[in-house]
Amino acid sequence: MTAPVGRRSLEARVSLVLKVGTYAAMALVGLGVALMLASGRSPLDVAPVLDPGSLAADLAALRPSGFLWLGILIVLATPPLRVATALSGYLRAGERQMAVVALLILAVIALGVVVGTSGS
Amino acid sequence: MEIGLLLIAGGIATGLFGSLLGLGGGVLLVPLLTLGFDLPVREAIGVSLVCVIITSAASASVFLDRGMANLRLGMVLELFTAIGALIGGLVAFLLDERFLAGLFALLLVYTAATMLRPRDASAGDGVGGPDADGRGDVAGTVRSRIGEAVSGAGYLVRQPVPGAIGGVGGGILSALLGIGGGLIMVPVMHLLMGVPLRVATATSNVMIGVTASTSALVYLLKGGIDPYATGPAAVGVFVGAAVGSRVVHRVDTRLLRLLFAAVLAYTAILMVQRALVVQ
Repeated sequence: MTAPVGRRSLEARVSLVLKVGTYAAMALVGLGVALMLASGRSPLDVAPVLDPGSLAADLAALRPSGFLWLGILIVLATPPLRVATALSGYLRAGERQMAVVALLILAVIALGVVVGTSGS
Repeated sequence: MEIGLLLIAGGIATGLFGSLLGLGGGVLLVPLLTLGFDLPVREAIGVSLVCVIITSAASASVFLDRGMANLRLGMVLELFTAIGALIGGLVAFLLDERFLAGLFALLLVYTAATMLRPRDASAGDGVGGPDADGRGDVAGTVRSRIGEAVSGAGYLVRQPVPGAIGGVGGGILSALLGIGGGLIMVPVMHLLMGVPLRVATATSNVMIGVTASTSALVYLLKGGIDPYATGPAAVGVFVGAAVGSRVVHRVDTRLLRLLFAAVLAYTAILMVQRALVVQ
């Protein structure tokens, strides 16, 4: 028995988000690793902390940390984006229960960000 | 540069063998980083969480395309694994490194034991646990609206409340140890909730991303993720897992499982030693 068309198309959209996020992240991380190795840096060196304000400048200057941080941020953002995609699909389909579930997942992730930021 | 290449090679081996043996990368990657590259346990867990998200996202997309995963069940359960991951992510920074190393040693022993156990004969038949089709003894079946709403073709999801509690536990362990949580969630879904094993495995893969990203964000914001260590490991694990998924059907993994059970048991001893000496 196959799933309803609406459900399958939602799964296809969610799958696309996962694919695009993964490959974009891996391209950036791969570039960052290549730059890191080319510049003679070791994985055991002290790495610069994440500074969102300097990310664009680091990328423009081809600093490995910029590519690595952006890639890692995309990795971490991909699952919440997948949930947000599902949320929009459930809202369009009028599936309120599943939309509430998706919203609660995003709330838990957001709470993690708030708690992580406030405690650091 | 040599250390970077070694870390990429280690990541490839981790991703390859993890894929061949059906293990999440974290079980192999955390010991590799702590024992092989002398990274602090907590930092290794942060690296592992990022790698786990990458490999699970790549395989989850395939499972969703093939209609093998139950997205609705996965989303309901990942609400609870995310709550567990949030708790675990915060607790991890309160615990002593030695405790984390000791806990990981226990995980390795458990994983080694599961690898030595004969594989379930019904593993590939798409049949769930008792009453998987929703007929028969219904005494233990919670026919709640939630259970029915997340059931799939040919099976009724049972016991959503114990499943949710298991999800919180799986999320906590994922965050504390840098693993995906499939070691917990697949048995919870298959044995407790009556989900067919293949669906449980695929659904667990879909859930891992949200579980791991919830705790990884806490690690990131608390300075627990090192980009220089994460990058080469992630590239290696991604490549290794991709190769492993392509050759898994051509490899007889029985001997490999025995060898790895021994390796994991030995690694558990090393982790115990680390638990006893880390400052």
